[in-house]
Amino acid sequence: MSRFFLMGLLMLILGPTATGVAQAADGEKLFQFYCAQCHGTEGKGDGPNVTGDFPVDPRNFTETAEMNKLSDADIRNVIIDGGPIADKSPMMPPWGKTLNDDEVEALVQHLRQLCNCTGKAG
Amino acid sequence: MKTLASTFLGLMLVAMATVVAIARADAAAGKEVFQGSDCQSCHYTQGPATEKSIDDQLAKKGPELWYAGSKFQGPWLQAWLQDPQPIRPMKFNSVMEPNPGGHPALSADQAGPVTDYLMSLTSDAVKAGTVKVKKKNLKGRLIFIKKMPCSGCHQFPTKKKFSGGLSGPSLVGAGQRLNPDWVLAYLQQPKVFKPVKMMPVFVGLLSDKDMKNVAAHVATFK
Repeated sequence: MSRFFLMGLLMLILGPTATGVAQAADGEKLFQFYCAQCHGTEGKGDGPNVTGDFPVDPRNFTETAEMNKLSDADIRNVIIDGGPIADKSPMMPPWGKTLNDDEVEALVQHLRQLCNCTGKAG
Repeated sequence: MKTLASTFLGLMLVAMATVVAIARADAAAGKEVFQGSDCQSCHYTQGPATEKSIDDQLAKKGPELWYAGSKFQGPWLQAWLQDPQPIRPMKFNSVMEPNPGGHPALSADQAGPVTDYLMSLTSDAVKAGTVKVKKKNLKGRLIFIKKMPCSGCHQFPTKKKFSGGLSGPSLVGAGQRLNPDWVLAYLQQPKVFKPVKMMPVFVGLLSDKDMKNVAAHVATFK
């Protein structure tokens, strides 16, 4: 009986954590599928598309100081509308017709993990 | 005179029926070769597409071929099957692994019927004759290179040789490889062909006219 009680207690404690891990995994999966081709699997801006011909340097998401200058809304807007919305290159595609709101949000959170930063408010 | 005309018409109809019957026979023979060569272990030929998630897409081992007859040009396909050089710089479904090549080749005797079979697999979403191809399409070029990020992921021919990114299929030689009407349909109705893909959806971002121009520009790639 006490064993079941302990298991139940463990599930209660681990439940929310496990859910959080699953959400992070989705952001990671989305990132590897859509973003890594330019931003690299580790988010350092060195994906396979960044050949000598690539006209810009894709953002390195591990640069904490640079990423801290951006709010979540800034990141969200660029994911949805592409580089030109922030006066950046059209090489950053508009993903707004590809990804739903939850997926965009998961990506924002994943980028925050990569930069280990929270960004400016707003 | 009337008898002569009706005889001629009759002969024509018989000839056309014979051509169709031979094509069907070749397609049937090609299907046997396709299945016998284990092509279906990597390529699926039954549409419509059913992928709903990234996992579904990543589970696929090779490009789907259920609309191959709408996508490819027959002469190119027949030649490629005999000398299958990589089209994708990167391995299918991989971001980081280069394409090792090594796609199995067919003999000339096999490639003809298999081409007939694959060209018989078509999609109603592709409307023939929609894209008007000219020597140049400057509006399409501008969208491809400047306004949209197409060149970021797809190699394309340039004066020096070729340029562009590596994650998408190369578009070098696309003028001989792809049916421009399929390129347009792929832009207009991506979910019909590949519901989950690494390429962004441009529906609602590019007008039909812009998409036609892009498809016409891609058709000029040598």
